[in-house]
Amino acid sequence: MLSSKHFFLLPALLTLVAIILFPLLFTVRVSFSSWDVFQSGLDFIGGSNYVRVFADDRFWQSLQRLSLLSIISVSLQYTLGFALALAVWKQVRGGRLLRVLFLIPMMTTPVVMSVIWRTVFHESLGPVNDILSAFGVGPVPWLSSATGAFISVLIVEVWQWTPFMFLLLLAGLVSLPKEPYLAAAIDGAGTWRTFWQVTFPLMAPITIGALIIRLIEASKIMDTVYVLTSGGPGTATETSSYYIYIRGLRDFQIGYSAALSLVYLVIMIISLTIIAKLLLRTLVGKDE
Amino acid sequence: MAKIVLENLGHSYLSNPKGEHDFALKPVNLTWEDGKTYALLGPSGCGKTTMLNIISGLVPPSHGRLLFDDQDVTSVPTSARNIAQVFQFPVIYSTKTVRQNLAFPLECRGMTPSKIKQRVAEVATLLDLDYALDMPARKLSADQKQLISLGRGLVREDVSAILLDEPLTVIDPQMKFMLRRKLREINRQTGMTMILVTHDQSEAMSFADEIVVMKDGLVQQSGTPEELFSQPQNDFVGYFIGSPPMNMITLEPNLGSLSTEAINLTKPLPAAMPVGNNVSIYQMGIRPEHIVMVDKESDSIGKGTIIKIEHLGVDGVVTLKLPTGVIIKAKTRKHTEMTLGDTFGIRVCKKNALLYIDGTLSSSLN
Repeated sequence: MLSSKHFFLLPALLTLVAIILFPLLFTVRVSFSSWDVFQSGLDFIGGSNYVRVFADDRFWQSLQRLSLLSIISVSLQYTLGFALALAVWKQVRGGRLLRVLFLIPMMTTPVVMSVIWRTVFHESLGPVNDILSAFGVGPVPWLSSATGAFISVLIVEVWQWTPFMFLLLLAGLVSLPKEPYLAAAIDGAGTWRTFWQVTFPLMAPITIGALIIRLIEASKIMDTVYVLTSGGPGTATETSSYYIYIRGLRDFQIGYSAALSLVYLVIMIISLTIIAKLLLRTLVGKDE
Repeated sequence: MAKIVLENLGHSYLSNPKGEHDFALKPVNLTWEDGKTYALLGPSGCGKTTMLNIISGLVPPSHGRLLFDDQDVTSVPTSARNIAQVFQFPVIYSTKTVRQNLAFPLECRGMTPSKIKQRVAEVATLLDLDYALDMPARKLSADQKQLISLGRGLVREDVSAILLDEPLTVIDPQMKFMLRRKLREINRQTGMTMILVTHDQSEAMSFADEIVVMKDGLVQQSGTPEELFSQPQNDFVGYFIGSPPMNMITLEPNLGSLSTEAINLTKPLPAAMPVGNNVSIYQMGIRPEHIVMVDKESDSIGKGTIIKIEHLGVDGVVTLKLPTGVIIKAKTRKHTEMTLGDTFGIRVCKKNALLYIDGTLSSSLN
């Protein structure tokens, strides 16, 4: 029965409908239309947008690139973040100051930061090549070669998001129980064994959470690519979201980009669910 | 195996302790014989865990020395100290199987695989964990995990003593009983010294050959369970050991003896009577178990009216109000035949009524 108390749910429900449900359903509808710059409006062309998606090599390449980029960058962020967290975990001199300093990259606006990095990597004016030339290393084509641009995007991603990993992992480390460490000391385990047998397994749940959150975020990468390389040179750093942006908001193929978005969404949901399950199985051992 | 000697051993967590109250463990001298079982008993925050952590080397003591077999180990690190410790919460290496867990301390010490295999098999048999050796350790129940923690200590041949820091707290009541029996069994079979920290007196009484009762960082009494029960050295031990606690009845000095209106039982007055403001408090301590309730009031030392009856199965605890308003408790098996408001005579064997002066047992006058 509907009673007065249910009306209190209305503001939340309306917000949900407005910001999630309506856009989602509308995108689904749009994806079955040929809405573009010549023909605006909702007609119905069946699944032909989807047929086009499956034949679009550029989209699948961007997805591959995105997978590679997010897996490498998140792995590096995790390793570096864990190392930094371990470094300031134990009482060290100036630890509090270091913690704040480590967090600065995360606080910066991605676009602003990317502009700064673009300057840093600038092949003739940027400081990186200037410093490298002092060591006799010739000018590196940071943004004009395919590999260089990919590495540049990677460096910026790692630089910006390692602090986030650091923050999550440090919070995890601080909350670990003391007894396992005492037991390991009594069992005679050294630093290395203690890390692999005690710290790492105890951190597994936090590791999984941190990795999944970062993978979701990393697969949405857009602003860094937009400012730093604009997907180039060629399509060397073009990620899925950037390609969808090009199709939708630069070429105004609204119907087609809606189909791309939905395919991308489904692939992400499936692959991240599988990754989460795999991580859970290998790290926590929830196998039954 | 080793004899453990605490020589004036004390600890303060403050760098510059100003007085006795700054000590988590006040300096104490104790000797623990090889192969016996000991219990450190006391309320939370009394310094038992500090004492245990000093022995295992996790906390370096601020005062005194610790000797294992007459060797000074005060500054020897934990890993070199040949101590095993079981904690309140079972500690297992969750990614390893039971077998790998048991083998871990030996691997850390660089033993040969064949020797490790043999030791693990021996300990698994001792702990009845043979069947679970290849199971992931995290899948076991809490009591089995606690056995693994214990096993990691037993597997080492160099262990001087096993320290148990409230290891039964998280275990189910029935399993608790079995695990306690298992610990006793292992102690008999291996002859390993075991030191149990607990705040549960029945656990301490049933486990240990000797109990150390502590309060506020100070050792109150150390002795066998029988001694602690029959001759508690002070009112705290009388209160803490035994359930319900000892009855303490205040006595007044009167014509060369100590007596009370509540019951007709006197104690001789100590020779040196305190004078002036230093008036001592005299108390008679009687265990509820030593109070006999009789129908006839003629040969009893007093009478009381029942105000409460607690049923504990075979035994019952009866609360009696004496005519002077003093409340005492008695343990009896006839509680089912009694009703509230009944009046009974009280009989106590004189040797079971102990005299306490200012809370301390006066041995000469009992």
